[in-house]
Amino acid sequence: MRFTELLRMVLINILSNKSKGMLTSLGIVVGSATIVLVIAIGQGGKLDVADQFKNLNAGAIEITEGMSADSMMEQFMGGGNSGAPNFGGGMPSGLGRGRASGKGGPQMAAGGEALTEDDVEDILALVPNIESASLLASGSGLVDGGELDEETSFTVAGVQPDYASISNLEILYGDFFTEYDVEDKEKIAVLGYKTAQDIFGSAYLATDEIITIEGKNYSVAGVLSSMGTVSSGISPDEAIFLPYSTAEKYVFGNDIAPQITVVASDVGEVENVMTNIEVLLNENHPNAMFTISDAGSKMEAASKSANTLSMLLIAVAAIVFVVGGIGIMNVLFVTVKERTQEIGLMKALGSRKVEILLEFLMEANFISLFGGIVGVALGFALIPAVEFFGMRCEPVVLGGILALIFAVATGTIFGFYPAFKASGLTPIKALSQD
Amino acid sequence: MENVIEIKNIRKSYPIGDSLLEVLKGISLTVKNGEFLAVLGPSGSGKSTLMNVIGCMDGFDSGDYFLDGEAIHKMNDAKMTKIRNSKIGFIFQKYHLINKYSVLRNVEIPLLLRGYSQKEASEAAAQKLEQLGMGGRLMHKPNELSGGQQQRAAIARALVGKPSLLLADEPTGALDSATGKEVLELFTELHKAGNTIVMITHDLNVAKYAERIVNIIDGEIFDNK
Repeated sequence: MRFTELLRMVLINILSNKSKGMLTSLGIVVGSATIVLVIAIGQGGKLDVADQFKNLNAGAIEITEGMSADSMMEQFMGGGNSGAPNFGGGMPSGLGRGRASGKGGPQMAAGGEALTEDDVEDILALVPNIESASLLASGSGLVDGGELDEETSFTVAGVQPDYASISNLEILYGDFFTEYDVEDKEKIAVLGYKTAQDIFGSAYLATDEIITIEGKNYSVAGVLSSMGTVSSGISPDEAIFLPYSTAEKYVFGNDIAPQITVVASDVGEVENVMTNIEVLLNENHPNAMFTISDAGSKMEAASKSANTLSMLLIAVAAIVFVVGGIGIMNVLFVTVKERTQEIGLMKALGSRKVEILLEFLMEANFISLFGGIVGVALGFALIPAVEFFGMRCEPVVLGGILALIFAVATGTIFGFYPAFKASGLTPIKALSQD
Repeated sequence: MENVIEIKNIRKSYPIGDSLLEVLKGISLTVKNGEFLAVLGPSGSGKSTLMNVIGCMDGFDSGDYFLDGEAIHKMNDAKMTKIRNSKIGFIFQKYHLINKYSVLRNVEIPLLLRGYSQKEASEAAAQKLEQLGMGGRLMHKPNELSGGQQQRAAIARALVGKPSLLLADEPTGALDSATGKEVLELFTELHKAGNTIVMITHDLNVAKYAERIVNIIDGEIFDNK
């Protein structure tokens, strides 16, 4: 029989019982929609992770005063890896390796000696493989000026010039401050994009304007490009950056607990750099404790976490496909039973085994392809609904293609056995069956 | 006149529990080209088994079978499938038409299986149905037809591929006597037109329409010629 005629026969068979075909394909519809959603959610998760770390370098190391809960626990247990710091750039805490440094006992966790500009200078001078380092102290400050009707609280961060490159900050208008501005305690500010909009109505209008922070006038030296959402820590878009020394003198006073962010020149040297910093800080602050943790392992852990979620969802989709496939298999078995006489007749009239096999297999394929197409459309249609519940989704065309491939493969695999059974029927037995 | 069927000493047994039941006990039979033969036998005589063997739907334990000169006893399943399509036109007691297809499509099937295009098969099938007085029923579904019309459609399906042999199994078994008579008269016409027909029946009145009758009793043939 010509392939086109076989195809015509298959289509007549399916169309002669549309409702059965549609019901059979339901499992595949759900499976395909799940695949599309899973891949969209997985991609959304990856982008979320990328967003969380977009203001961090892979070689970044953070040093905070005191001891994280994890580090304290490990100190008691005799370990020393893991930490939960808060990177200035917006690093989520609780992931990755870290270490607690210091000779004091756990009672020192609250700290006693703050990190200083001298520590930064020592690290830059004495620890090999360091590319840059910056202090960061942050808090809130009352701001006035521009279009603000009254004093409004904004996040104020005192940083050193290297902080811009460490946190991948980009200047949109004006300039970031320099080493000299820090030395001279210049009263200049660099505004985050949203902060500039909030104060002046437009980022473009902010440069060289004057704002007051805690009652003192500052000249706006620059405005940062929009960074978008970062998961935690300082959101650059919503902050005001001041030279560290200026912030220390005019905003925070001496009662601050700054942190240092260091970038290793080589990601492979991060471990050694962390060890050396630990030794150095133990020398500088014999009675204090610090938590040192690196960004790379946190990024890795977050990526792994996102991948694990994706794998979990894919496993769910696979299970749905298996269930859908079993549905197809069952319906095909019933169909073979119902059409036994027809199969017997076709064989008596000269239909070859392979033609019967192909006929049933193609029926399974068409049903699953139909289910796949409907499922893919449904999956893409459901993406806004999933996003409505706060889960980030990123539609991926590849997800649709994969879902279709899985759908047809499921139909082929699960349709094969009933089709094989049908093709193996002998015409006499099949014809004589009631 | 050439022989269409030449069967020599065919034996066939079925296992029943631990023993074998011999259903065909060394049957020999010859059917000439253009002959109309009735195989008459009671239930359990082995006539259905003989029909399955003649129709190449079942093998046999020993003996030789030539159909239109082809040595069936040497053929495997695949070759027998091809022979069924090219040499035999089947007419069944229950018609065995596929209800989801139109009458026309049912009649096209043997030709489509032979590799004809839809157009070629459709033209030949329509012509054959016209010849059998079914021209006005081409697009009807089989279950919309009377029993006699369904059997006519089944006869059209058997004839459309111009087979060497028409093999009919109790062709009037599901019909009332008047309709059955019409079908048998059609068989007579087909015979006169030169078709070779083998008809299996248990009814002597039906068998009488044939040119020659052979009796099958307990797996053995008694030729009345």
